[in-house]
Amino acid sequence: MNFLRYTVSRLFWSIFVILGVVFVVFLVSNVIPSDPAALWVGPKATHSAIQAAREKLKLDRPILVRFGHFLKDLLRFDLGTSIRTHRPVIEDIRKALTATFELLLVAECIAIGLGIPLGVLAAVKRNRWFDNLSRIFAVAGVSLPSFWYGMILQLLFFKWLGVLPLSDRIDTFVSLIYPFEEKTGFYLIDTLLARNYVAFFDVIKHLILPAITLAAYPVGLITRQVRSMMVEVLQENYIRTAFAYAIPERKIYFGYALKNAIAPAMVTVALSFAYTLVGAFLVELIFNWPGLGRYAANAILSMDYPAVVGVTIVASVCYVFINFVVDLIQAKIDPRIRF
Amino acid sequence: MRRFLVAFLLVVVLTVAFSQKQTMVVYAYGSEMITLDPSTEFSNSIIVLNNVYETLTRYVDGKLEPLLATEWSANEDGTVWTFKLRKNVKFHDGTELTSEAVKFSIERTIRLAGGPAYIWDSVKEIETPDPYTVVFKLKYPANIPLIASAGYGAFIFSPKVAQIGDDEAIANWFNAGNDAGTGPYTITKYDPKTQVVLRKFDGYWQGWTEGKFDIAVIQIVPDPSLRMQMVTSGKIHVTRELIYDDLKKLENNPDVHIAQKPSFQVLYLFFNTKKFPLSNPDFRAAVAYAIPYKEIIDHVLLGYGLQPSGIIPRGMFGYADHLPPLSQDLEKARQLLAKSNVDPKNVKLVLTYLQSNESEKKASELIWSSLKKLGIEVELRPMNWEQQWAWARSDPSKAQDMFIMYWWPTVMTPYDFLFSMFHTEEEVLFNLSYYYNEEVDKLMDEAVQVEGTNPKRAEQLYKMVETILRRDLPAVPLYQISDIYVVHKSVKGFTPNPAYPNVVFFYELESGS
Repeated sequence: MNFLRYTVSRLFWSIFVILGVVFVVFLVSNVIPSDPAALWVGPKATHSAIQAAREKLKLDRPILVRFGHFLKDLLRFDLGTSIRTHRPVIEDIRKALTATFELLLVAECIAIGLGIPLGVLAAVKRNRWFDNLSRIFAVAGVSLPSFWYGMILQLLFFKWLGVLPLSDRIDTFVSLIYPFEEKTGFYLIDTLLARNYVAFFDVIKHLILPAITLAAYPVGLITRQVRSMMVEVLQENYIRTAFAYAIPERKIYFGYALKNAIAPAMVTVALSFAYTLVGAFLVELIFNWPGLGRYAANAILSMDYPAVVGVTIVASVCYVFINFVVDLIQAKIDPRIRF
Repeated sequence: MRRFLVAFLLVVVLTVAFSQKQTMVVYAYGSEMITLDPSTEFSNSIIVLNNVYETLTRYVDGKLEPLLATEWSANEDGTVWTFKLRKNVKFHDGTELTSEAVKFSIERTIRLAGGPAYIWDSVKEIETPDPYTVVFKLKYPANIPLIASAGYGAFIFSPKVAQIGDDEAIANWFNAGNDAGTGPYTITKYDPKTQVVLRKFDGYWQGWTEGKFDIAVIQIVPDPSLRMQMVTSGKIHVTRELIYDDLKKLENNPDVHIAQKPSFQVLYLFFNTKKFPLSNPDFRAAVAYAIPYKEIIDHVLLGYGLQPSGIIPRGMFGYADHLPPLSQDLEKARQLLAKSNVDPKNVKLVLTYLQSNESEKKASELIWSSLKKLGIEVELRPMNWEQQWAWARSDPSKAQDMFIMYWWPTVMTPYDFLFSMFHTEEEVLFNLSYYYNEEVDKLMDEAVQVEGTNPKRAEQLYKMVETILRRDLPAVPLYQISDIYVVHKSVKGFTPNPAYPNVVFFYELESGS
């Protein structure tokens, strides 16, 4: 089997997994005891209004027929209408997703930018104070709950030092005085496109705390992974040889050793994207970030089943897609994987 | 010379900058906005609509004040109401307010028959004899001036919207963040999930004075702890629905003040009068006297509430001030229990409450523990609203024994409470005690008909209903919550108006510094 066939087969299974998720989520959301028609019309409804809503939402049809309709709509990227907000779910999710992705990407940049050098240095200074210190940070980052140090960061940088904002994506006043068009939904890009530097720097200021909070977990993960890979590589003969040739240390560590250690770590990096997506749910609540997590929490609490189904599908598509990419990376860099 | 020029320019720039400085007030609210159609919106977005649109009258502290109407009168039996409109009022699109606009608005609301449209049920036709006179002809007597003050479904909007297209096209236009009101503010940015920005309408008929805010922002912040941090730091200026423990802490905070008034939202405990043992009036009374009302207010609300003496909330016309509030009296409860001949060992009562609501949960637990003292076993069942309501609406002989539910009015009349919860129903809707009493029906139906023309008589009739309900005890009020807002010290002039739930009337606010 060649790489192309491997890709196609992975893709096939990924789609299969997504279909399975769609079916299970749809089924579960339809059997939980709740009455979407009553939800649709609000708390003080009359019988006829509920009946009318039931017909409008096609809730009087058998579940398999409804699933068929749902799949047909899904193929057109239509996730139905939210019961609570009466808006198309896909539109709400699209907006929320860009907010989440912006936060996620910045957090991942921090995680990679910090995690890889930290891991390399920890391996080089193995069992010295720097290694121990980085270990404490890494373990803390992985094991402490994000909502806890998110709040600690708020306390420190907003309440005591007063240098960073408490919450939200942009300051209300700034967004009113320096408005910009939301073309991509990524505020960093939108403000730059509009050459609106005041808003741009405000967006950065608002990103710092939530991004650091969100990055803590992947930083820990990547640091530990890179360190253990580096430790292994540094014991290889060719590294000793390189030292014998008196090649500059920095070049040996970051040039020769890291190149070989980074490949397995890449998988961790990619997977940490998926973990971080889940972590974003709590972080978004603390920092009032209008992203997917906040949307999902609201949808679940108010039993808004089309929204719950929508979020689950989008999140699982992201997850499956990342896994798919990881599989491909692994297959490319690790010759032990047979096609 | 050059230095002088630079300094001069700087001064000019600064003056321009300062003279254009806009003042802004931010209200942090916990839930997302839903729709913006003034005819059908029956949910959170009325906090926007009440600042953008106006009604003919406004309900303030038990009285009706003129708003878009300056005066009104009725014929003798209350079936024809005539309103005089205020002159020189402009809609945001420049159109002038006339009787045609009022007719157009209310007729559209009735025609769409969405959410709150039922408040106009009594209206047969609306006539416009001249541009500033509106005549409501009714199918049966009703208190139209009160109905016209409702916070939902009573908004007047510009007839120019008809040019947009059919009703659905107009609704879409509204929901996209447009408005056509006469109110002090107009919508400039609408993002239902994060933020609504309102800017002052220069042509507002009440005019603008120094200190009022140019921009009002409604910021959606679901997390109550975050809302508290934001208001204490002055990042936002008004908020509500904080955790009660947090409110206690804020009482001594000099940066904020807590504004509160009794709301019209009451938590009731319904007894299933169609199922043994609560079908037994003495047993029902025993349970009613075993409930620790004071303890519930102290522990669940931390004192931020009160116990109304009847079904009608305190502060509303018709309030049962002739009755003492119920209080826990275990001795009396034991006697009533003995009189009922029901052996508590043989019964187990099921009580359902809303699972997501912490207050209902705590109140239910207190009821559970005090009924235990009488030897009555209660099973608490947390459920979601649709589920517990569906169960209650099924066969009463198999439904839950006790049901906890909040009620709040759409129109500020006792009838809204009494009719919904205690009037005979053909099919169960909100009469969740299944209490059917022809006398009660007759009294309240008469009361609502004379409310507008003979309020004294109406009040008397409502009190008679309360007396009967106290005797029969189909349900008891547990508490009436306080409407609480936390306001940053930089904002002055705020008083809650519980008749408009969650609404902050931004026009009343002034910058304090």
